[in-house]
Amino acid sequence: MIVRWSAALLAFVVVAVAGLVLFGNFETGIDPGSFFDSEGANSFALVLAIAAVVAFAAYAAVEYLQTGGFGSISSQFDTRTIVLMPLAIAFNIILGQAVGAALKIPIYLDSIGTILVGALAGPIPGALTGFLSNILWTYVVPPPFNSGVAGAFAVVAAVIGIMAGLFGRAGWLRPRPDRPIGQLFAGGVIALAIVGFLAFYAYSRFYGTAFAFFNPENTDLLFSILGWVVALLFVAFVVGFIALLFLRRDLTVAYVVVAGVLTGAVAALISAPIAANVFSGVTGSGTDFLVLAFRRAGSDIQTATLQQGLLSDPVDKMVTFFTVYLILNAMARRMKARFPQGERLLEGDELDPDDDLETPPAPQGAPA
Amino acid sequence: MTGGSPWHRLNPLTKLVVATATAVGAVVLGGIAGPVLLVAAAVLLPAAIAGVLGQLVRLSLLLSLPIAISAVLINVFFFPGGQTVLLHLGPITATAEGLAFALEILVRILAISGAITLFYLTTRPAELVVDLERRGVSPRVAFVANASVQTVPAMVERAGQITAAQRARGLDTEGSLARRLRGIVPIVGPVILGAIGEVEERTMALEARGFTRPGRRTLLWWPADSGAQRLARWLIALAVPLLVLGRAAGWLEWLP
Amino acid sequence: MLALDAVTYRYAGARRAALREVSLELRDGEVLGIVGASEAGKTTLALVASGLAPRAIGGTLRGRLLLDGDDVAALPMHEVAAQVGIGFQNPATQLSGVTESVFEEVAFGPMNLGVPRDDVIARTWDALTALRVETLAERDPARLSGGQQQLVAIAGLLALRPRHLVLDEPTAQLDPAGTRLVAEALARLAADGASICVVEQKTDLLAGLANRIAVIDAGRIAFEGPAAEVLADPRIADLGITPPAPVRLARAAAAAALPAEPAARLADAIQGVIA
Repeated sequence: MIVRWSAALLAFVVVAVAGLVLFGNFETGIDPGSFFDSEGANSFALVLAIAAVVAFAAYAAVEYLQTGGFGSISSQFDTRTIVLMPLAIAFNIILGQAVGAALKIPIYLDSIGTILVGALAGPIPGALTGFLSNILWTYVVPPPFNSGVAGAFAVVAAVIGIMAGLFGRAGWLRPRPDRPIGQLFAGGVIALAIVGFLAFYAYSRFYGTAFAFFNPENTDLLFSILGWVVALLFVAFVVGFIALLFLRRDLTVAYVVVAGVLTGAVAALISAPIAANVFSGVTGSGTDFLVLAFRRAGSDIQTATLQQGLLSDPVDKMVTFFTVYLILNAMARRMKARFPQGERLLEGDELDPDDDLETPPAPQGAPA
Repeated sequence: MTGGSPWHRLNPLTKLVVATATAVGAVVLGGIAGPVLLVAAAVLLPAAIAGVLGQLVRLSLLLSLPIAISAVLINVFFFPGGQTVLLHLGPITATAEGLAFALEILVRILAISGAITLFYLTTRPAELVVDLERRGVSPRVAFVANASVQTVPAMVERAGQITAAQRARGLDTEGSLARRLRGIVPIVGPVILGAIGEVEERTMALEARGFTRPGRRTLLWWPADSGAQRLARWLIALAVPLLVLGRAAGWLEWLP
Repeated sequence: MLALDAVTYRYAGARRAALREVSLELRDGEVLGIVGASEAGKTTLALVASGLAPRAIGGTLRGRLLLDGDDVAALPMHEVAAQVGIGFQNPATQLSGVTESVFEEVAFGPMNLGVPRDDVIARTWDALTALRVETLAERDPARLSGGQQQLVAIAGLLALRPRHLVLDEPTAQLDPAGTRLVAEALARLAADGASICVVEQKTDLLAGLANRIAVIDAGRIAFEGPAAEVLADPRIADLGITPPAPVRLARAAAAAALPAEPAARLADAIQGVIA
């Protein structure tokens, strides 16, 4: 055990350091003040993600050498999870292909399965679901379903799965219906505060220096429009979120929004350098227009992909998390409960006897 | 996926290593000459041996088409710092630098999609999974991989059936984008929930057939392998980090 | 012999037990039918007899499941699966979903059990032959009819070489042609000495197939006995079970005050036509 974990840790450190040294843009040094310099930040997350994958591979390799198999990893997966994963992978591929290829909108919708498995079964199954989805999507799935670019983003999908698993484990996706207005209000404010803070930070770090959206002297029509569109989207999001929160009276809506934004931000950070370096920012989906717009503003490829990602990914992940939440709510209690993390997704402790496969008819006085 | 050519008969892991190394190599090499050489040697030549050249060209062009269009349009017309003007189209200009950059991207994309398509055309997924399982991958992971490959077309078929049923109930699937979007939910909903509803039955059926037994299972067949191929795989796999190193150290600047 | 000894089972998260103090025996070479109204506990009984409850689905089990006299509570699922095969209603969800031919599908079970390769092949052919589906060996399981898929599923169970088969309403989701296919196959298996426990709503099917029948009501065994006796017993109608056609005919004839002897011969004749 110690050997495996040490090997993993060693591999992680080696790859992380090597990656950061070779590809990280650290002319400024690791100075906390300017640590998130635009280009340095780009590679930072990706290098760490790759280091994590290599560490996992090191762990597996050592275990293989020791025992000729991968027992400790695969035993974490019970049959129910194993049955769910191919379905989840199929959801990812089909929805992702339909949205990416057919509708040219700047979101992906290719993580519903990953987040579903993460929530129900945990971070590792979620990660594997995401990873396999992207690999199979590229290498194995027949035309017209295959995608030439998905394989390169397998790491991103894995991280999304891990985050979904952690949110699930923390109980963020447990329904919280019929809460008093006060709680809903507090939850809404907190969620908006978090999202607002992240948005402001991102804006000032990654967008503000490139151009000013609302600068009246800016004569470029494209950017005035873009600026107003983004602002309108943000307002629509806030209004929509508040409406949803109070209409459904379900506090979890706030949690779902925050989870989506956080996951989206991380996904954007990791995927931007991949898109920039491997595909020069062009992936054949609706997001290319956004990248184009930012490059027109003068950003280099690295920054432009990040700017696009930080707009698309949080929206995409919010929609995805919300969809997964709806799916979870539509699933029967006992079905969820039998999954490894299912308990964290159930509301309250109420036992519902009608959920059985077969229950005896109404009792004539005799207790169970 | 029948085909008795020497390339087809190679071990699937070998073909996978070649495909991945080619794709990664094309990205790392950059420029135009490098990827072109790589494609000729590692994609076109094997495709010719395998007798799938025509199919390969057609499918990989199809695969790269959306990216290629975007890449060319974006870079030819909007390349920042482009000086040599080729033509004017109203407010936007095409530049030679943009064209050169677009060509670079195009070659890279074609290399990647060529490599992937070659793998897809000459390897059955089941073969690759069995080979990995023989080498120690858990039967559970193998199950997930195999089941995923079969589930995608099956689910699309079911979506088609549900679409037909919903249409018969009056669902409008033509028309404006908004209407089509709204039409998605009555189709996607039943597909997703229906599939999830089957999880319980499938789980029980699998466990009833000994699926939970730990360790390896008996395999009925597996693809052949050879020492020569093993050596080749290692060499190719080692070449990639060398390329990365070379690129980082600037040894490859002489390539156009 | 497969025996349930005073089994009480409650599903996870349920307030009431689905089975109470059920004791039942399935002897070698015997076909035991289980009948009962919906929600009476038939499926639960099948799940307990096969070991899936509680191993695969959780819940609390009191009492014992005995195989050849040994309490199997400590055995893991895959070891119980090698002794008791269980089939379900839906033919499609029983397919593994990872095989491209019927042969591989049927071989799935013994492959999981780690049986040596030659044995796997031998068992698979034996199972296919027993169900007369050898001609389907190269076909894609997903493209078969419901009845054929159900036969393939049962063949997959037989390949495990279990001592006992438990089938939960095997014809419930099949059309009449499929039902006939499966019924004939089961009759052949029974004639070859298999020990089968069939849960069924279609009492007509059990009439020709089962040696003994147990009636389950509200989680308890109401009564059991030789098949013909139980099916003719007037109590089963009160418990929500439809008697087989000849029995219903005989009763209708009696109610119409027809003499017993010709009514019985008429019933036999009609039985011969229907079957």
